[in-house]
Amino acid sequence: MSFEFVTSGKPPISPREKKFSRFLLFFEDVAKVPVFGCQHCGECILSSTAFICSQRCPKRMRNGPCGGTGAGGSCEVYPERKCVWYRIYYRSKMLNRLNLLYKINKIHNWNLEGTSAWLNVFMKRIDAPIWFVRNDKKKVKEMLSDDIQRKN
Amino acid sequence: MTFKEKIESGTFIVCGEIGPPKSCDGDVIREKSKYFKGVVDAVNITDNQTAIVRLSSIASAKILLEVGVEPIMQMTCRDRNRIAIQSDLLGAAALGIHNVLCLTGDYQKFGDQPEAKGVFDLDSVQLIATAAKMNSGLLLSEQEMKKVPDFFIGAAANPFAEPFEMRLIRLHKKVKAGARFIQTQPVFDMDIFTRWMEKVVEMGLHEKCAILAGVMPVKSVKALHHMKKEVPGVKINDEYINRLENASDPKEEGVKIAIEMIQALQKIKGVRGIHIMPVMWESITPVIVKEAGLGAI
Repeated sequence: MSFEFVTSGKPPISPREKKFSRFLLFFEDVAKVPVFGCQHCGECILSSTAFICSQRCPKRMRNGPCGGTGAGGSCEVYPERKCVWYRIYYRSKMLNRLNLLYKINKIHNWNLEGTSAWLNVFMKRIDAPIWFVRNDKKKVKEMLSDDIQRKN
Repeated sequence: MTFKEKIESGTFIVCGEIGPPKSCDGDVIREKSKYFKGVVDAVNITDNQTAIVRLSSIASAKILLEVGVEPIMQMTCRDRNRIAIQSDLLGAAALGIHNVLCLTGDYQKFGDQPEAKGVFDLDSVQLIATAAKMNSGLLLSEQEMKKVPDFFIGAAANPFAEPFEMRLIRLHKKVKAGARFIQTQPVFDMDIFTRWMEKVVEMGLHEKCAILAGVMPVKSVKALHHMKKEVPGVKINDEYINRLENASDPKEEGVKIAIEMIQALQKIKGVRGIHIMPVMWESITPVIVKEAGLGAI
């Protein structure tokens, strides 16, 4: 079995780079905060969650909803809100991006908290965003059959 | 035979559940374990469920081991960061506790100390992956361990919360991360559960993990009404509420419903066992197991 979804010890960001990161973050905020409600996790997975920020979940779940989604998709902690993963599922379905939900997201690296995700993509600390998805249904099927064939 | 060997051999599994006391009195667990010894295959030990402080799950599991009942230790992400999780897992392995149920944990708002800080450093899928990685001899930091632990990793699934298909995706993720058995939330709606099991069989997940369906015997209609209103992610068929309301002895009716449910669950393809979880009513478990004709160990 592969464990590529568990982050290994990556070196901390240098102070010089951090300054540049803060500068970039200003522009990133202008785009991301009003549109997506960005939480500055620095490890952006927006593209695999149908462009809804999963970090707005009170439990900061990165791999799907907890067991408490109520009727009509209400959040268990704040019943007046909708569960973000409920919205992510329906938007993924609408945009034909369901195969991206099968991907296991890595454990959050807290060194990257409050840094610019754009810079992190450029420095190859995190995966690049996936803009376009083709043949979603076929990919889901492949993903399922792959895992059945592979023995643990 | 251990719990792991029983699951691998394919026998019908029966699990129980014990909630540790809100004090340091270990005798409560020894007392409760009498209901389970020789009746069930393994017993879940909850980890501060509904975010209320209780005796720790590792200590309770050790007490159970001493009296000869196999524990399944629950491990939540609410109270521990990745360092504490790995340390607690190693501690459990050193004490001889190998069955771990990985959960995200209830939000602290629901407990008696809502002002607490929730950690949620990992989520349940990542916790399963962490335990699986430790099984392969590595810590999260890629350091090798001299002695490799042998965890039998479990996870929870809730077929009744929305959206239905997302639950299957999440189950798929959990199995892919390394979960070998799955315990579901209590079944109170057979239709949804049957539909969910059909999908699970279609995806081939029932061969890669053992699915243990949750059964919750209830004492009164009040408990059902409370669950329907207050507990999110639970679906209760009105049929059961009506039956309990019209019964002259609701306790007896509750047991009867649980037994009928077990018999129906046994017939569903892919269900490898049941998990009986009465809330603060542990004494009923042996009665149900006996009357359902299970548990000749």
